[in-house]
Amino acid sequence: MTRYVMVADLRRCVGCQTCTAACRHANATPPGVQWRRVLDLEIGEYPDVQRVFVPTGCQHCSDPPCVAACPSTATRQRADGIVTIDYDICIGCLYCALACPYDARSKIDEPLYAYGEEPTASEQTRFDPRTIGVAQKCTFCVDVIDAGVAAGLTPGKDRAATPACANACISGALTFGDIDDPDSAVSRLLRENKYFQMHEDAGTGPGFYYLWDKEALPL
Amino acid sequence: MEPTRHGSTRYVPTYCYNCVAGPDLLTVKVEDGVATEVRPNFDATGIHPADGRVCVKAFGLVQKTYNPHRILTPMKRTNPKKGRDQDPGFVPISWEEAMSEIATRLNRIRSEGLLDDRGLPKVAASFGHGGTPASYMGTLPGFLAAWGPIDYSFGSGQGVKCTHSEHLYGEFWHRAFTVCADTVNTRYILSFGANVEVTGGVCAVWRHAGARVRGVKRVNFEPHLSVTGAASAEWVPIKPKTDGALMFALIHTMLFEHPRDRLDIPFLRDRTASPYLVGPNGYFLRDSESRKPLMWDTVTNTPLPYDTPGVVPALEGTFTVTDAVEVGADEETWTHRDVRVETAFTRMTETMRPYSADWAAEICDVKADRIRRIAGEYLDNACIGETIEVDGAVLPFRPVAVTLGKTVNNGWGAYDCVWARTMLACLVGALEVPGGTIGTTVRINKPHHNRLLSVKPGPDGFMTANVNPTKRGKWEERPTGRNAHKTLVPLVGNGAWSQALGPTHLAWMFVREAPEGWARPSYPEIWFLYRTNPAISFWDTRQLTETIARMPFVVAFAYTRDETNHMADILLPDATDLESTQLIRMGGTKFVEQHWEHEGVVLRQPAVEPCGDSRDMTWIATELANRTGLIEKYNAALNRGAGSVPLKGEGFDFSLELSKVHSGDEIWDAACKAATAELSHGTDIKDLAWFRDNGFFVVPFKRVDWYLYPTMVEQGLRFELPYQERLTRAGIELGRRLHEQDVHWWDRQLAEYEPIPRWHDIPEIWINSVRNAGANPDDFPFWGVTTKSMQHATGSNAAIQLMDEVASNLRTHGRVVMNRKAAEKLGIKRDSWVEVRSIANVTRGQVELVEGIRPDTILITGQFQHWATPYAKELNYPSLNTVTPMSLELTDANGSGSDVVRVSVRPIEEVAA
Amino acid sequence: MKTSIATGPWPKLQRHWDIRAACNFIGGGTGTGLILGAAAAAAAGQTFAPALLAGLVFVACGLTMVLLEIGRPWRAFNVFFHPQTSWMTREGVVALPLFGCGGLALVLHWADGPQLIVQALTVLTAVTACGFLYCQARILRAAKGIPAWREASLTPFMLSTGATEGTGILAALAATGLAPSWAPAAALVFGLVRVAAWRHYGKGLKAAGVPGASLTALERIGPMFLLVGHGAAFLLLAAPAASPEFAFLPAIGGLLLATTGWWAKQTIVMKAAITRGFSIPRTPVRGSGTSRVVTKPNWKTEAA
Repeated sequence: MTRYVMVADLRRCVGCQTCTAACRHANATPPGVQWRRVLDLEIGEYPDVQRVFVPTGCQHCSDPPCVAACPSTATRQRADGIVTIDYDICIGCLYCALACPYDARSKIDEPLYAYGEEPTASEQTRFDPRTIGVAQKCTFCVDVIDAGVAAGLTPGKDRAATPACANACISGALTFGDIDDPDSAVSRLLRENKYFQMHEDAGTGPGFYYLWDKEALPL
Repeated sequence: MEPTRHGSTRYVPTYCYNCVAGPDLLTVKVEDGVATEVRPNFDATGIHPADGRVCVKAFGLVQKTYNPHRILTPMKRTNPKKGRDQDPGFVPISWEEAMSEIATRLNRIRSEGLLDDRGLPKVAASFGHGGTPASYMGTLPGFLAAWGPIDYSFGSGQGVKCTHSEHLYGEFWHRAFTVCADTVNTRYILSFGANVEVTGGVCAVWRHAGARVRGVKRVNFEPHLSVTGAASAEWVPIKPKTDGALMFALIHTMLFEHPRDRLDIPFLRDRTASPYLVGPNGYFLRDSESRKPLMWDTVTNTPLPYDTPGVVPALEGTFTVTDAVEVGADEETWTHRDVRVETAFTRMTETMRPYSADWAAEICDVKADRIRRIAGEYLDNACIGETIEVDGAVLPFRPVAVTLGKTVNNGWGAYDCVWARTMLACLVGALEVPGGTIGTTVRINKPHHNRLLSVKPGPDGFMTANVNPTKRGKWEERPTGRNAHKTLVPLVGNGAWSQALGPTHLAWMFVREAPEGWARPSYPEIWFLYRTNPAISFWDTRQLTETIARMPFVVAFAYTRDETNHMADILLPDATDLESTQLIRMGGTKFVEQHWEHEGVVLRQPAVEPCGDSRDMTWIATELANRTGLIEKYNAALNRGAGSVPLKGEGFDFSLELSKVHSGDEIWDAACKAATAELSHGTDIKDLAWFRDNGFFVVPFKRVDWYLYPTMVEQGLRFELPYQERLTRAGIELGRRLHEQDVHWWDRQLAEYEPIPRWHDIPEIWINSVRNAGANPDDFPFWGVTTKSMQHATGSNAAIQLMDEVASNLRTHGRVVMNRKAAEKLGIKRDSWVEVRSIANVTRGQVELVEGIRPDTILITGQFQHWATPYAKELNYPSLNTVTPMSLELTDANGSGSDVVRVSVRPIEEVAA
Repeated sequence: MKTSIATGPWPKLQRHWDIRAACNFIGGGTGTGLILGAAAAAAAGQTFAPALLAGLVFVACGLTMVLLEIGRPWRAFNVFFHPQTSWMTREGVVALPLFGCGGLALVLHWADGPQLIVQALTVLTAVTACGFLYCQARILRAAKGIPAWREASLTPFMLSTGATEGTGILAALAATGLAPSWAPAAALVFGLVRVAAWRHYGKGLKAAGVPGASLTALERIGPMFLLVGHGAAFLLLAAPAASPEFAFLPAIGGLLLATTGWWAKQTIVMKAAITRGFSIPRTPVRGSGTSRVVTKPNWKTEAA
């Protein structure tokens, strides 16, 4: 089996938002719609403070509440764990957004452009009317993955089959791959490091793993 | 990279150099002739230190290209009155009309003389941050070189927004225009205000992330919890501008609270001037005949010249020398008999004696135990005596480094900090060796692309230094630029970068009001602007804007309207990043933290056709040269390498025919061939067409060449530390020259020339400046500081929506950042509006409350408060530049100032955009 | 959302339900309560048609408001595609027999059809209405992103307030003779149940540790909801017991019960719908730094 996941190494992340910008480019999302973004969190009180940058977005849960909630079956989970939205079926009720514990979904009812009423040439070229009035979120760049796999490439290993955010990440914090493949980079990272998943108590089985320390060396 | 074409989609390799940490290699996806996407260039995997990844700023280039607010045709001003409140009345004109107008004025200057009656250039030019515009201006440097004298001293932040003292002293001491940790090898980094995770670019971020996972310990000293502080193992919220005191305390602790053998004695003895004897007048004690500095030889127990074969000098101690001389300022000489002298190291030790951890604790607001612990950790990690093999060479391995950031290494106190940092490295032999504190590039010395080649034996066992003369008859009495850089600042040198490195705010201050006894310089007759907006990016922006409005004739290469080109007479739309052609060098070792195992060249090429009637800078430069009768000189300058690389070299000659007007493609084709011929020694010559498909060309660069140490050993040279004899002499001579001219307003700066820095109450300088302005310091209880964000730093991209959007994911963007409890005491809530007031001006913004900032400090990120730049002017963000005063009082000996200002904060009603 | 955006800060994209969605819960609950009352009246051979009609109208209005909320109203039929797991689909599915039975009951009633069938259909409508209301309550509980909705005790509150609102309206109708006279008593009984359900819900929220903003929103309305929506309403409902002159007051009491229930639901659906935000249980180790266990999640640490 294949189960695609994202590993975010919080030790590495510096909140630069390069992944955010790369995602905006790769998926042509409109202003303010960020399928991938990095949070800027602060823990503690002065002077004993820590600041942590946390990449987030759709967690592609193994038990995705959005899929269960969706009345139209537009939101589905593939066999490889990727949660998708069929823009041609979605009715835009946004129930999925409320079902999501990760604030991962958005909806816009009218086109949004960077500079006022008119699209720029690049926005015009890439405008997809199917995205208006429906839910949208990170797809793990599913089209890239599918095209890559069809070409015999390995997502997470071969850049041409890897999500834009992981490709773009300049600190090496984001690693994508198949957790069911014991030789994949994500499997290795999870073996060698301590990690958590966000809101584990929600029982959603997020496909997003946060590394925070290395495993203690065996005695 | 092979451009792939799927239908109408293609991928174009190019570069981004919007900050000094570039170039980043990228590919642009072009669909139906429209740039739609920026991606990393993974063809650089294994070549680029971060495998071809691209900084967030580059993702703004697509919007930059298609920003509807772009200026897309030449324009001229119709309103002769200039000022913020004046509508310039720009109207479109043709390129012919624009170039004709400019050429007419230039030709008139050429016929009447290039200099005014005081010897100042009639043409001035200003470029933006850190030389980055040079990677976009095509062959404009060729035109500038052909023209002759040009005044580059009207800065847009140079000297106060850069790591200025690091540039000057770093290059002087270890050919390090910028300084960094050898991150891939180091184990322990003391980071004083360095924000490398934000300004270090892709390479630094990549290297430091790897180092963190490896377990490096970085201790970050900074008044607020910056991104770099966040990513550090430990944050020390130090009081602003007290970093020097803390570093002195670290040195003191190492000298007085640890055994001497914890230091790298051989390094101090053999690679520094520590053993040099210092005479009673404060100059090196010299051999009476050879005039070479003396050391005390422990073998013969006699003083011997520093370069005596077999000498084993004493590192410290006091000795009696029977016969020697001292040579002071203006060759003043003292002859000594049986004089009691001590080594430079002992002088340094005694100077540092008062600066204990307990002494620094109160000054810095950092506990003494913590300072002692950090000093101990530094020694523990220094690995004294260990070696490492690099490219077959066995080098010392000293994995401890000290890095400094802006505001620490510029302005008053910066000399203390830069000296102390370099001394900390010397104490454990961690200067310019693997794991230690290392330099990156040179800009005051040549050649710029290889700092090792800039090392030449100079006087007294040190490297040569590009220091402006201060002796009578050689000192530049009449400034050749409006900031008087060669006149006032010996260390700034006289290279191509020197003028812009000088005290650039002095040009702005002097044209407005010169100090007593100093002739007020004229305004330049023509001022060229390219990729710079000093009306926003410098200080005291209200007054600066008024000064800009007095410029008689301004030609601005303009992307959009902005606050500086609001005063322009002609606007010229240049083809921007994704629309034009240029070849630049990359790799090797370069700014900030660029350490590659390759070096080469990379092409910027038009991914898309230029929008509107914007033109390639190379076309514009050629046109200017042709219309001013300078085409031969212009081509000659390009042949010498003014555009990128010399077009003629050993075994190759792609020189341009001098009398011919060459197209951009012809020029860059020659540059591509010459660069590859130079790099491959003539074995692998690539033309422009090859570069268009492949993007870049590299050859291996030895890792051992990251370090200066082997070159120093090879040439038998010493680092010029700890004792600053040469600079002290220059300072005294400079003082004499100025006093001979009855100039006394630089006296305070002259006092900074000390052979070993001593602590002066640096924060008090700012408090006194409030007092001297007639205000009560108690009314301005906060330190106002600034910081950069990776999304905007040096990018000239405040008008790019995507950058603003993604920057907004960080809590500090566009806000006045305050300590939560400090704000609560003032009744200030999150998101509420406040007014930040200094003695100079006020700025207003919404508040973000955080725990990660000192209660006595407020933080404003970036440079905003635009009033003319479309999009940016609606953001309504605060700016520290607005409230930071520009004054001689806050200018140090190198002409540098710090981004720090005493302010008050009070809640106000919401401010409309 | 208007497209003419010149600059940031960027408008909030729609990530939450607005008043249109709240109206569906209002209409569904009140409608169900009315239909329940109508069924009881019909079973007792009393006047039921106005209440049944009003109940159906309430439910229909609520669904219409939803239609206005969704981004692609012309695809509304797609709502039926996922009965296996989606309570929203189930709500839609149950609405079909609800309107079918209710509509047929009214038609037969007005056509003087067989009374037994009318009675049976009305009761059947009430059963489906209860199912409809239950689906609505479960829609909220299934929304894992909203802790204030995930609380199990929200379901009894949603059911009880629906019944209370509906019987409250029934009490108003009774004042005009369009509903049976026992309506105020029924409203009072359901109202008492609602008080208990509200308090139970409140305790549950605190125990669950939901976002502070959700608690604040609900606590802000709590006193007024109990005082006016229950205390005052109960007095008004019971007023005729003191004097026949107060016969009109139960109508006002019933309306108070209904409108305060709407207010509570609007608050729950819109203002208390705070996502749990982002939190991390540990901070990362930077280099040789230390990790901190985060014991107190910061609900509002999300970047704007």
